[in-house]
Amino acid sequence: MATLVHPDEPRRPNIASADIQLPAVKDYEQVDREILAILHPTKAWFGGLLIALACLALGIFSWGYQIHQGLGVAGYNPPVMWGVYIITFVFWVGIGHAGTLISAILYLFRAGFRTTIYRAAEAMTVFAVMTAGLFPIIHIGRPWKFFWLIPYPNWRLLWPNFKSPLVWDVFAITTYLTISTTFLFVGLIPDIAVLRDRETNPLRKRILALLSFGWRNSEREWRHFARAYLFLAAFSTPLVLSVHSVVSFDFAMGIVPGWHTTIFPPYFVAGAIFSGFAMVWTIIIPMRRWFGLRHYVTLNHLDASAKMVLFTSLVVGLAYLIEFFIAWYGGVQFEQDYFWNRVFGQWWWAAWIMLTCNMILPLSLFSQKLRRNPTWLWILSIFINIGMWFERFVIVVPSLSHDVEPWQWSTYVPTWVDYGLLIGSFGWFFMWFLLFVRQLPVMALAEIKEIVPPKMKKAHHHHGGH
Amino acid sequence: MHRGMVGVFAELDSTVEAIEELKHRKLGDVTAYSPTPRHELEHAIHPPMSPVRKFTLVGALSGVCFGYWLAIWGSNYWPLVVGGKAISTWIPYTVFGFEVMVMVGALSTVFGMFYLAGIPRLTKTVGYDPRFSSGHYGVWCECAPEQLAEVESILRRHGAVEVRGER
Repeated sequence: MATLVHPDEPRRPNIASADIQLPAVKDYEQVDREILAILHPTKAWFGGLLIALACLALGIFSWGYQIHQGLGVAGYNPPVMWGVYIITFVFWVGIGHAGTLISAILYLFRAGFRTTIYRAAEAMTVFAVMTAGLFPIIHIGRPWKFFWLIPYPNWRLLWPNFKSPLVWDVFAITTYLTISTTFLFVGLIPDIAVLRDRETNPLRKRILALLSFGWRNSEREWRHFARAYLFLAAFSTPLVLSVHSVVSFDFAMGIVPGWHTTIFPPYFVAGAIFSGFAMVWTIIIPMRRWFGLRHYVTLNHLDASAKMVLFTSLVVGLAYLIEFFIAWYGGVQFEQDYFWNRVFGQWWWAAWIMLTCNMILPLSLFSQKLRRNPTWLWILSIFINIGMWFERFVIVVPSLSHDVEPWQWSTYVPTWVDYGLLIGSFGWFFMWFLLFVRQLPVMALAEIKEIVPPKMKKAHHHHGGH
Repeated sequence: MHRGMVGVFAELDSTVEAIEELKHRKLGDVTAYSPTPRHELEHAIHPPMSPVRKFTLVGALSGVCFGYWLAIWGSNYWPLVVGGKAISTWIPYTVFGFEVMVMVGALSTVFGMFYLAGIPRLTKTVGYDPRFSSGHYGVWCECAPEQLAEVESILRRHGAVEVRGER
C-alpha cells in the first residue's frame, strides 16, 4: 500500500514502492553489460582470493596437525566436549539461512528489494552450508570414519537412533544443502544462457551450452520455470524454518541448564536470519562500491534490509530476555545459577560481547539516516557476525562448563588449532564465493530485467514486471 | 522437418501484436522468446496452465511416505528398546517425513520443469537467435511452406528488425 504524499512535500526516500525501482537502469542491454562486467578479474579480486587461500592454508595445516596429533590438540576439556567446531558449525548454518530467506520467503511476499541481492545471498547459502558441513567431520577427530555419521542401518553395532536430534540434523542439513543448491542452479540457468550467447571462445561456449541445458528463453520454458520456481520457493520457506529449528533441537533436547528450553527453535531461526543478513551486507556493500553497482543495490534496498535486520535483532533480543525471565520464573536453582554465571560470572565477557553486538548496536537502525549509510551498515555487519559467533559460544560453552553437578564445573580455552580452523573456514567460504563471482552472474539478470521497463513502440504507463 | 520464419523484435508491444495476428490467422505454431518472463507474451499465446504442480504433488507425497517409512522400518528392524517407550513413534519421525517430503518434492518439481520445458536440449535447434537472451524479443512461427510469405509479411509489418526463414 503506497504512502500518501502531499504534492508540495518532498518525496520521502522510503516510500513503500521505492524498493522495487531501479531508475538508473534504462534497458536490458545495460543490465547485461554492467553486471557481466564483474566477471572480469580485478586486482582487488586477486588480492581477496590470495587472502582467502592463505586463511584456508592455515585451516588445512591446523586440521592436518590435529589429525596427526589427535583431538587432544583442540581445546576440549571434559565435560566441555563441544567447542569451537560445533560453535562454528551452528554459526555457518545460521549464515546460510539468509540466502533462502531472501530468495524464497521474500519472493513469496513480493518484497522487491530482494531482486538485486538474492543471487549473492543464495550463493552465500550454498557455500556457508558447505562450510558448516565440514565441522561435524572435523569435530569427530577421525574424519576417515565420517560415514558413521550417516544414519543408515549397518552391521557395526551402531544402530541408528531415529529419535536422536543428531540424526534429524543429518537429514535437515542434507535436505537444505540439496535444495539450496538446486534453487541456486535453477535460477542460474537463464543467466548462463545469456553468458552462452555472448561467449566467443568455442570451448567456453560449449561448456556454457551444457550448463544452460539448451535454454532458449521461450515462453514455454519461462511458463514452467516460473511455476517450478514458485513451488521451490514454497518448499524452501518452511525448510528454512525447519532446519535451524532442528539444529536448535541438538541443544534443546539435552537436559542441560541453558539448553532445555522450548524457545530455542524460534530463537535460533531469528538469529540465523539476523546473522545471514549481516553476512549479506558484509559481502554486498563492498561489491556495490567496487563494481559500481550502487544503482542496482540502492539505498532503498539497504534501507529495507536494515529494517529486516532491526526486526530480527529485536526478536533475538527478546529471546535473550525471555531466557533470563524463564530462568527466574521457573524457580529451578540450576538454571538461575547458570544464567547468573553466564552474564555476571565466568563467561561475562562473552555474554556482553553477544548482548552489545546483537541487541544494543542494531538499535541504531531505528535511525533512517544510519539505515541509509552503507559504511555504518558494513561496520555493523562485522559486529553482528562477531556477536552471532559469540551467541553460539555462549550457548555451547557456559552450559557444558557449568552443568548441574558442581564437581563437573570446568572451563574451556580454545587452542591455536581451534582458531586456525575457524579462520580456515572463512578462507574456504570466501574462496568459493570469489570463484563464483568470477564465473557466474552475481545478480540475477532475468529478474532484474523484469523490473526494468521494456522497450515499447507506443508509450505506456509501465508498472513493473509483476 | 521444422520449417518456419523467425522474427527479431526490439519492442514488446510489436511482438505481442505480431503474435496476436499470427494466432488470429492460424498460421502454424507460434513460439515467443523474451529475455525475461513477460505476462503480455503469455496472454498473447494463451497457453494452458503449467502442470508442474502435478510433479510437485506426486514427489511430495512419495517423499513424506518414504521419510516416515525409513524411520519406522529402521527402528523396527534395529530396535532400541527403552522401557515404557514405543519403538516407533510418529512425532519425532515427522522430522524425517517433512525433510524427505521437501527433498523429493522439490527435486521432482525441477524434474517436471525440465521434462515439460523440453530441456536439457543438447542438439542444435532452429528458430532461435542469441539476441533473445539479451535485449530482444522473438517470434518463431513453424508453418507450411506456402504460408511462409504471409508470415514474413506479418512479422515485417509489425516492426521486426530482422526476419529470416529457417529449417
